[in-house]
Amino acid sequence: MATQDDSGIPFSVVHDQQQFRLVELPPEILALIDSPNAPILSIKSQAPPTASTASSSKPAYAVLCTPTQTYQLRQVQTSNSVFATKCVLTSHGDSMPVPGVSAIATCPTTLELHPVTGTAIPYLKDALPLYDLVDDEMVDAAGNGKSKLKVFSDVPLSDAQCEWGWRELIAFEFAGSSFRPSAVTLLKLWKSINVAALAEGIDLNKQFLTEDLLKAIDDEGYPVDLFHALLLRLAADDHVGDATWTSMDRQITVPFVGRTLLASEPSNQDLHTAIFIESWKDNLPELWRDDAKLDTIKGLYILPTSTTISIKGGDDEGSGEGSKGAGSASRKWHERFARARRR
Amino acid sequence: MPSVPLHLPGANSSTLPAPNPLPTLLQTPSGLALLELQGTIHAPTAEESVPSADKSLAEIGKLVFPLYSELTGQEDTKWMKRVYLYVGKHQRMTGEVKKLGKPLGVLARRKAEDDGEELEILEVVRYKIVFSSRPEPVGGEVDGAA
Repeated sequence: MATQDDSGIPFSVVHDQQQFRLVELPPEILALIDSPNAPILSIKSQAPPTASTASSSKPAYAVLCTPTQTYQLRQVQTSNSVFATKCVLTSHGDSMPVPGVSAIATCPTTLELHPVTGTAIPYLKDALPLYDLVDDEMVDAAGNGKSKLKVFSDVPLSDAQCEWGWRELIAFEFAGSSFRPSAVTLLKLWKSINVAALAEGIDLNKQFLTEDLLKAIDDEGYPVDLFHALLLRLAADDHVGDATWTSMDRQITVPFVGRTLLASEPSNQDLHTAIFIESWKDNLPELWRDDAKLDTIKGLYILPTSTTISIKGGDDEGSGEGSKGAGSASRKWHERFARARRR
Repeated sequence: MPSVPLHLPGANSSTLPAPNPLPTLLQTPSGLALLELQGTIHAPTAEESVPSADKSLAEIGKLVFPLYSELTGQEDTKWMKRVYLYVGKHQRMTGEVKKLGKPLGVLARRKAEDDGEELEILEVVRYKIVFSSRPEPVGGEVDGAA
């Protein structure tokens, strides 16, 4: 419908200028825009560190989240004037209206998007109080009063990244709050599951009814959501998303038990490697005993002496060697460790 | 509330925009386009504005694509090298049409149903018109006003 003649296109400026911003669109977001059901994205900012109600304090930085990706927003100013124009019909007196172009808004800043490949774990650990069972009683677990959704909205990462961290921490909702379990709690729950499975003849390696296992440990008073969270964490991939049936992934469960066992040990005591391995085996289903080898938890432990073992990332020691890889994992256990020490 | 929803442009072209006089390449579904220039436009205020039919805008001049014709093929991009913006009758800026390295989303606020703040990408723009040089004086020969 281009109707341009020698006289050109009338160009005008609307008096009441709006303000737009421009945002650079990477191919991934363009693909979302072109997809038949474009999702709603979100711009998130980390909640101000001071837990005040004043929403006026501006957060340090903001991120743009698609369902699976996160981009940090960086604002770029230009010294030029950038206008957004739209088409208008302009007329002079009695003459026929002519299609023209009119600047309706200025765009003083452009937002650059930089992909962020962070883990949600540090944010979630800050946001989620530790759910800790000591002597079978829940200790000092004052809830944060936040649902999972609310917690996610405060993490400057995409939902998929939050979900991954949530699952990794075996976080769960309980009594209107969200928690992450301590290593001690996880170990207790795992022991209960392992014992109950043996008693009830449930083969954890094969497909079993989630409900059967839940019933078997029902009287021990674990939050049901914690039970489901642990199962989801250990489930074989083909059962993720289906809560009725479960089977546990041997490759995931064996190292998980070893790691949890190690992390739940008080740090100030020497743990003999041989005793640890034996205890690890004892806490696995009979069929999996032989899988308990240090190889499977590579990078997660250190050997302070030739006969003792300790979880990595607990203290200054061992930070030199093995600082590569599993960086987030070592941080992850650090807090649990510190907390265990405080007790 | 630290999380603000950002809506992407949908395929809902319920309101037809006014006829688009720009070259096809610069046309977008909503009719939005980007124009960049050095310096600022000192547009006359509503009171100073020349009497025109529309009191909401100030007429600045004309936009001319001298090398463009509707018969120009898609693959022929020579016309992009030259754009004129006549400001008033005696000044002209020379510019060009540039393909953006990364397409830009035009981001605007939109009122949410619950009065909260929401954002919206109104349009994806892939080209912009850029005038990077200062205006130069010209004679009054391109007086397009009929």
